[in-house]
Amino acid sequence: MLGKGLLKGMRVTFKTFFHKKETLQYPEEKLTMPARFRGGELDLNTEKCIACGLCKMACPNHVIEITTAMDDAKKRHLKSYVYHSGLCLYCNFCVEACPTKAISWDKNYENSRYFRDELDVDCLAIAKQKLTKTISADDKASAEKDNTLKGGILDE
Amino acid sequence: MQEIMSLFQIAKMLRALLESFLPDQQLVDICMSLINIGAIFTIISLSAVVLVYAERKVSAFIQRRSGPNRVGPKGTLQSVADMVKLMAKEDIMPDGADRWMWMLAPMLLFIPAAAVFVVFPFDNKAIFADLNIGIFYFIAISSQSVLPFLMAGWASNNKYSLVGGMRTVAQMLSYEVPMVLSILGIVMLVGSMRMSTIVAAQEQVWFIFLQPIAFVVYVITATAEINRAPFDLVEGESELVAGPFTEYTGMRWALFFLAEYANLLAVSAIAATLFLGGWNGPWLPGWIWFFLKIGAMIFLFMWFRWTFPRLRIDQLMSFGWKILLPLALANVIITGIGMYIYEFFS
Amino acid sequence: MVKTETYTLNMGPQHPSTHGVLQVVLELDGELVIQAIPHMGYLHRGIEKLAESRTYTQFIPYTDRLDYVSSMGNNWGYCLAVEKLMGITVPERAEYLRIIMTELNRMASHLIFMGSLAIDLGASTGMMFGFRARERILDLFDMTCGARQTYNYIRFGGVSVDIPPQFIPELKRFLADFPAMLAEYHELLTGNEILYHRLKGTGVITAERALEIGLTGPALRASGVDYDIRKIEPYGIYDRFDFKVPLGKVGDCWDRYIGRMEEMKQSASIVAQALEQMPEGEVMTKIPKVIKPPIGDVYHSIENPRGELGFYIVSDGSTKPYRIHVRRPSFINLQVLNETCQGLLIGDVVAILATLDSLMGEVDC
Repeated sequence: MLGKGLLKGMRVTFKTFFHKKETLQYPEEKLTMPARFRGGELDLNTEKCIACGLCKMACPNHVIEITTAMDDAKKRHLKSYVYHSGLCLYCNFCVEACPTKAISWDKNYENSRYFRDELDVDCLAIAKQKLTKTISADDKASAEKDNTLKGGILDE
Repeated sequence: MQEIMSLFQIAKMLRALLESFLPDQQLVDICMSLINIGAIFTIISLSAVVLVYAERKVSAFIQRRSGPNRVGPKGTLQSVADMVKLMAKEDIMPDGADRWMWMLAPMLLFIPAAAVFVVFPFDNKAIFADLNIGIFYFIAISSQSVLPFLMAGWASNNKYSLVGGMRTVAQMLSYEVPMVLSILGIVMLVGSMRMSTIVAAQEQVWFIFLQPIAFVVYVITATAEINRAPFDLVEGESELVAGPFTEYTGMRWALFFLAEYANLLAVSAIAATLFLGGWNGPWLPGWIWFFLKIGAMIFLFMWFRWTFPRLRIDQLMSFGWKILLPLALANVIITGIGMYIYEFFS
Repeated sequence: MVKTETYTLNMGPQHPSTHGVLQVVLELDGELVIQAIPHMGYLHRGIEKLAESRTYTQFIPYTDRLDYVSSMGNNWGYCLAVEKLMGITVPERAEYLRIIMTELNRMASHLIFMGSLAIDLGASTGMMFGFRARERILDLFDMTCGARQTYNYIRFGGVSVDIPPQFIPELKRFLADFPAMLAEYHELLTGNEILYHRLKGTGVITAERALEIGLTGPALRASGVDYDIRKIEPYGIYDRFDFKVPLGKVGDCWDRYIGRMEEMKQSASIVAQALEQMPEGEVMTKIPKVIKPPIGDVYHSIENPRGELGFYIVSDGSTKPYRIHVRRPSFINLQVLNETCQGLLIGDVVAILATLDSLMGEVDC
């Protein structure tokens, strides 16, 4: 019969009319990102970082800028760690290259900015902020505990 | 229920209300006419608003999405938001456009779309103008909507618009002929062109059962007349960006859109009147049946749009002239023979 | 006296149905096409030049971005070329994983083809359906390597990371659902008479002309030439799988469309076979930390969803390549647009562009 294919197509769309909708009502509902998701900004764990510079060498696009300093005990530590997120390819080479697993993705994909220079992320400053927050929270929780948390990396 | 709530009764109650506090009979008549005109314009403008929302929801459901659901409860105020946005847009006229033709085109398109509403039988004895050439008036006025497309296409000084305008003329003229012939079958059965007679003749059996071929031909040609898929290569988005409407922004474009949806409502109303029995129906008042049948036809047209790809211009022309026209003619001949045999035996 | 003349219509870089930023300058006589000249280069990013200042490993993410819809294939082609130059062999499990990922990517790419063909011809519902199925495949990739479109997964010597435990059950669910999805698309699109008449008989490319121009991929096979690199010079472990290569007869748009739909089915069967046969083991061999291939040059090509993707690498013994040239199938396939469109209508230009399935990222590189 002429037109049978057309009627079959109409039957398909009629059936899908009553199917469950697949729309995600963002921002009320958000998808959870898988564990290996590469996105957001680099999250630096200053306790694990040994300032080796391997992440900077692995990066194809000069996205990571590191300055280091040697202290008296001939140990390297970080002076600054800037991540230019605007140039990043999200290729994961830096995370894979790190020998101590000090950097990871923070998986926060809602990080758009109004100005281009805000795309340069000072990972060291953010890491320090997070540490002071955790330390002050711990302090509040255990007000009489020992003072071994002071010193070390906070000696700036 | 049917008699109490019919439009005629509502009109009588309104007239009695007006007579109670207006002195002059002529004043009452003028008021009733103004109310009638206002009602028709309300239907036309509301139809655009409601149909835009309905189209987006129907298309979304077919594609398993939700459609608009943020503005207003379940997204019902989305069309209002769109209208406000369109009114706030800058009115740009292209350089080198033919000024008067360009500005007149959307208005001239809207007028026939609005003018055909006077012959629709919304209910028993509730037609604005029960002309004895009812259906002929509809055909004559709706064929005037060919020219504004060509005006818009030419006056925009844009090659895309010109190609779109040429395609429109070809398409709409070719599909007028089978449409008229399919309607001719109905007129032959009834013996009159008056709309109220046609609806009254369908009290026992709807004409869709007596004239199925005419119904199919009418639906196809109506889709072509209102430039909807699969015949929307006039505004074929993926080929010509927007065809004759490319250079229109803001309220002018909204007028085109309004006219398109008013046209959709008009051809659905004609289909409901001629083939689906008009306001006939048990238990519910006539005008509710009329709008339900219009709703069914509109859903059918939207269903077509979101399922089928579009035809190419040469395929469209050959389909109209080589397949639909002989089919419609054959329908007329068969109807004539059928009527003669029926009279011979009864 | 009445005079007719031709006019130039510009299907510009911003157009709803050129697949990316392609400018096609049409010279028309009414509605008939006299010439259809594609102007490319709007997406040129200098990837081949960039390669000269990146190390071999650092170039892998850039290959992702050539034909961004079939990134796994691009990665694999480049890695095969360098592995051929350096003589690296890949463990069994990695070979199977490479094939699974690439064939899934082939399905995703052909779903995009189907979706964009549907919307270019006016059936926008087809696009939604195609992209919905593709979401399932992208979720699988997301769970494995963390990205949905530019994977950087296939590396020298294997793949970067093994699949997580929930990958295989999810993949099995997808493979079970896929035949029903494909049947739905066939019912909506393939059975449709309007689509059939739009595509049948238009844009015929004869087999001789296709071979002369260097057409490859599903477009070549639609013209009747049985050339699929996976069968003729199998790379990886393709010789262990049993699959058919769909051939067309006439070489019109309809054959190109049906060929790709059939290829999706064959890819699903390859993935199912690979799932059964895949052994346990490591996914990456020991390769030197610093990749320094010997001096020389190498060319290796694979069967990408769009055609034969080839990498020609010239190495001067240092850590950075001296020159990389990419044989891009979409670029070479696009040449045939002008002569195929002559004498047809504007609607056919759209259909031919859609069935040639050129991706601008690959055309411009």
